[in-house]
Amino acid sequence: MDRRHFLNTTVATTALSVAPNIFAASPLKVAVMIPQSGPAGLFGPSAKACAELAASEINSRGGILGRKVELLFGDAGLAPAEASQAALKLWKSGGAEAVIGMHDSAVRGALVGVFKGQVPYFYTPVYEGGECANGTYVAGETPQQQLEPVIPWITAERKLKKWYLIGNDYIWGRNTNAAGKNYILKTGAQVVGDEYLPFSVDNFDASVARIRDSGADAVLVSLVGGASVGFNKAFASFGLSEKVLRLGTLIEENTLAGIGIGNAKNLYSSSGYFANITTPAAKAFAQSYSKKFGPQAPMLNGLGQSTYEGFLMLEAIARKAGSLSVAKMDAAREGVNYNSPRGAVTIKSRHVEQDVYVADVDANGFRVVKTFSRVGSGQTCKA
Amino acid sequence: MTMDSGVILHGLNITYELATLSLTTLGLAVVFGLLGVMNMAHGEFVMIGSYAVVAVQQLGWPVATAMPVALTICGLLGWVVERWLIRPLYARPFDTLLATWALAMLLRKLVEAIWGKGYRNIEIALPAPVNFLGTPYPAYRLMLIFLAMLILVFLYFWYRKSSAGLRVRAMTTNPVLAEALGIDTKKLASQAFVIGMSLAGASGVLLSPLIRIEPGIGVDYLLDAFFVLVVGGLGTLAGFTGGVSVIGGSQALVSSIAGQTSGYAVVLIISIIFLWLKPDGIFSRR
Repeated sequence: MDRRHFLNTTVATTALSVAPNIFAASPLKVAVMIPQSGPAGLFGPSAKACAELAASEINSRGGILGRKVELLFGDAGLAPAEASQAALKLWKSGGAEAVIGMHDSAVRGALVGVFKGQVPYFYTPVYEGGECANGTYVAGETPQQQLEPVIPWITAERKLKKWYLIGNDYIWGRNTNAAGKNYILKTGAQVVGDEYLPFSVDNFDASVARIRDSGADAVLVSLVGGASVGFNKAFASFGLSEKVLRLGTLIEENTLAGIGIGNAKNLYSSSGYFANITTPAAKAFAQSYSKKFGPQAPMLNGLGQSTYEGFLMLEAIARKAGSLSVAKMDAAREGVNYNSPRGAVTIKSRHVEQDVYVADVDANGFRVVKTFSRVGSGQTCKA
Repeated sequence: MTMDSGVILHGLNITYELATLSLTTLGLAVVFGLLGVMNMAHGEFVMIGSYAVVAVQQLGWPVATAMPVALTICGLLGWVVERWLIRPLYARPFDTLLATWALAMLLRKLVEAIWGKGYRNIEIALPAPVNFLGTPYPAYRLMLIFLAMLILVFLYFWYRKSSAGLRVRAMTTNPVLAEALGIDTKKLASQAFVIGMSLAGASGVLLSPLIRIEPGIGVDYLLDAFFVLVVGGLGTLAGFTGGVSVIGGSQALVSSIAGQTSGYAVVLIISIIFLWLKPDGIFSRR
C-alpha cells in the first residue's frame, strides 16, 4: 500500500464513520414506480439513474426534512392492477412515505385509487392533463403547455396553412391532438385530416398516402414510441420530410435514435427537457449524470429525466410544508418554486409552470431553436 | 394529384406489403412445410438480421458486409438449434412450440443484453423516390419488390425442377419411404432449417432501413407469418403465395379504404374463418 492509497482509504473510512451522524432521524423511504418491463421498459434505466442521482444530490445537501432519502423501486410496466399491487407493497410493507411515478395514465389511475390521498404521489411524465386528486403532484408537460405557444410560433415561422393530425388511439393521443386542433384553428390555418391508429399497427403506408393526398404542409404527430419510429421512417422514405413539417410532443432522444437523423428533416419536438439544452443548470445536470454513471450511462431523455423533477418537487413542497403529511403538503404546495435542469419551475394547480423548448434535428441530434419561458399547464384543479 | 396516380400508389403499397410479407414469411413456411415444425423463434431471426446491420455499422464496416454476417450467424445458429433443440423433439409438436418459444425469449434477452432495449437505426442514405408510372415511389422499396419476386421464382424452379427439390418433396410426402430409398432425411431436415433461418436473417437485413429496430420486433413478424400459414396451409408454394396474397392484400386494401383498425380486424376474421372452415388452408392436399 503506497502513501496516497493509504491516505485515500483512511479518508474514506473516516467519511463513512461520520456520514450517519449527519442525519439525525430515520431514513426517508421513497417508492419509485418506473417501467422495468413491458413496452415502456426502455425508459426504465434512464429513469432509475435519474432517481439515483436525485437521491444522492438531495442527501449531500442534507436530505429531505433532515432525513436521508432511500429508494425503493417498483415495476410500473405491468398491468395497472399488478403495478398498483407493487406500489401498495412498497408503501404498506416497505415503509415508503412518498411515491414518485413515471408510467402511463392507466397505472396512474390505479395508483390514485390505491393511495386515496394518504401518501404524497408525484407523477412525472408527459401526460394528457386532468389529474387533480388529493396528494397528487404533476411534474410533466401537458398538451396545452407543449402546444399553446408552439403552434402559433411555428405556423407563423414556417407559413403553415394545412395541418394533418395523427395519433395513437388512446387518451393521450386524442387529447393532445384535440388541444392542437384548437390552437391550429386560432392561427387561421386549416386541419385537413385527423386519424387515430391502434397500437398494433406497424405499417403506416396508408396513412402516409392520405397525408400526401391531403396536401398538408405540417403534421402533428401524437404517436408513441415504436409507432412514432415506424411512421416517421415511412414518412421520410416517401420523400415527404423534404417539404412537410412534423411536430411531436413525445419525440424524445430514444424515439429519435429509432427514427434516425437522416429521416428527421423538418422534424420538430416540443418538450420541457432535452439532453442538449445549453442552459447552465441543464449542462451541470448532464455533467453530474455522466460523471456518476460513466460512458455506458442510459441516454438522457425527457421521460427519464422527469423522475429527477419529481424528487425536486417533493423536496421543495416538503421543505415549505415542514412535513410529509398530505394535508400539510396540499396546503403548502401552491406557488412553491424550485430550480431544475428544465429552468425555474412554479407549482400551480397541482401542475407546474415551466419552460418549454422546441428543437429541430441537426447532425448531432436535437438542437433547441426556441424557448418559451414559464408556460402554464392549462390545468385548473379545484381542491 | 390525379385519380390514376392514387390507384398506382395504392397498388404499389399493396405489392410492397406482399413482397415484404413473402420475405419475412418464407423462412417459416420452408421450416413448417418441410419439417412440420412451428418455429416460434422465427421473428427473432429476422430481428437478428436487422441487428447484424446495426453491429456492422458500429464496427465501421461497409454496410454490404451485413448480409454475409447475418447469413453466417443465422445459418450457424439455425444449424445448432436444429441439431440440439428441434431434432430431439421431432414429432412432438407441442414440445417444439414451447422449446422454440423459450429460444425466442433467450435470443431477445441476449440482444437486449448487448444493445439494450432502446431503438436503433441504420444510418444510410436511401435513394430519393423515383417516378414509377408518374407516381413518386421509394426506389429501395421497388428494389425489394423485385428481389422478393426473384427469390420466389428461383425457389419455385428449385423445388419443381432440381433433384434436391425432388428429394425434399419425397421427404415431406413420406419420410419413412424416403429414408428407405437412401435419402438422408436428417441431413435434408438440417439443411432446410438452416436455409429457413438464413432467409429470415436476410429479410431482416433487407428491411432494416425501413422498419423500427428494437429487441421485441420479432413477435410482429411471427404473427403475420402465422396468419399467412393459417390461410395458406403447409408445404406448397401455391398455398404460400395464396396465404401471402390473402393476408397481405386484404390488410393493405382494407387499411387504405377503411383505416388501419379495420385492416387488422379483417386479417383476424379471415384467419378465424380459415381455422374454422378450412384448417388445412386454401390449397390443402388432404
